[in-house]
Amino acid sequence: MGRYHYVFPQWTNKLVVLLVLGMAVAPIYVVFVVAYGFSPDTTWVGYKPEQPVPFSHKLHVGQLGMDCRYCHTTVEHAAHAAVPPTQTCMNCHTQILPESDKLLPVWDSYETGEPIEWIKVHNSADYAYFDHSAHIQAGVSCVSCHGRVDRMEVVYQAESHSMAWCLECHRNPEPHLRAPDKVFDLGWTFEGSSQEKDDYHAYWRDANRIQPGQDCSVCHR
Amino acid sequence: MSRNQSQLPRPFVYAGMILLVLAMIPPAVIAYARATHSPLPRIQLQQDMGVQNRFDTQQANPMFRDGRAMRPRVSGTVARGHLREDEHYYDGIVGDDWADTIPIQIEVDRAFLERGRERYDIFCAICHGVAGFGDGMVHERAQELVESGRHGTVWVPPTSMHTREVREKPIGELFHVITHGARNMAGYASQIPVEDRWAIAAYVQAMQISQHADEEGDS
Repeated sequence: MGRYHYVFPQWTNKLVVLLVLGMAVAPIYVVFVVAYGFSPDTTWVGYKPEQPVPFSHKLHVGQLGMDCRYCHTTVEHAAHAAVPPTQTCMNCHTQILPESDKLLPVWDSYETGEPIEWIKVHNSADYAYFDHSAHIQAGVSCVSCHGRVDRMEVVYQAESHSMAWCLECHRNPEPHLRAPDKVFDLGWTFEGSSQEKDDYHAYWRDANRIQPGQDCSVCHR
Repeated sequence: MSRNQSQLPRPFVYAGMILLVLAMIPPAVIAYARATHSPLPRIQLQQDMGVQNRFDTQQANPMFRDGRAMRPRVSGTVARGHLREDEHYYDGIVGDDWADTIPIQIEVDRAFLERGRERYDIFCAICHGVAGFGDGMVHERAQELVESGRHGTVWVPPTSMHTREVREKPIGELFHVITHGARNMAGYASQIPVEDRWAIAAYVQAMQISQHADEEGDS
């Protein structure tokens, strides 16, 4: 008279504990990977494309002290901060290091009129409206969004440029507001007590009547 | 059976260990991506309408042979309302001579000169120096390169604004030089709008007066 009788071996007790533990940890793990891994801080920040000409902002801005606007001439009055034409390079480089190999693509462009294909580093989504001039006029420095470009040998994306990041400043713009003559001074920081610092930023907020919008239609028009 | 009944069978132990090791890979990749720079294109998981079927400013367009989406003006043409007939305003010339005055359409006040100073510091000071003595940072750098003889650098020092010759130049000629360049200096018409060029010319003259205040007495 057979009666089938199966007894789980003793080790299954351990397996159950491990499985329950695993099922508890797995969601936390997935949330962590998605939150950190899919964030623009991971996927966008640090983008550093290799440009056709090894132009060094560190040398030209950091060392020679050239103003951002010498090349990016449209930034104060247009939405787009223009990448300079080849002529701008050649204002100096017909005489300075004209025989350098690094300048060959520039000469090529200068002589043929074909543009140099610079690679855009900071590219906002097409459904987001952004205007450089509005931010410059408000007293937001380049450094707030682009980092210390004057220290970059090759430019990379320093900030996430995500929507949450935009909103952070639109909700509390004060720490980023400066006097007009400091906007293009990337290394400038306020010197003084934290109370004076707050007053300084509050002053420029009042002076320029800064009320950044947070409605959808401010950026998604 | 030699193994204790309470011990997990080997395959389970191995599977667990492999799973643990595999689970460590994504955090490691994330940590690496956060700590380093990369020329690889950005990852955008949700494209939505982030890349729309249109051309942005200065974007490339393969339809044209030169690859520009923004079309250059057809050479030999003038856009409506852009015929620059006013020689005084656009070239600093009156009749057959350099203009001696700032064109009538420009209002000269303190703000205008401040604007001139600001623009001078952006576009001119790198070569001509903040005070106009021809000793800007680019000049210093070029001198170094000439001395080390690198890659064919030839350098004519930038003109000082404070020589008698330059001080005697009429404002129209200063404006013309800023616009069209002179000798080794390129023209700045494409980088500096016309009114700002007048502001710079006016600021240069103000600077000249300031450096020779005692000679001229009346400044």
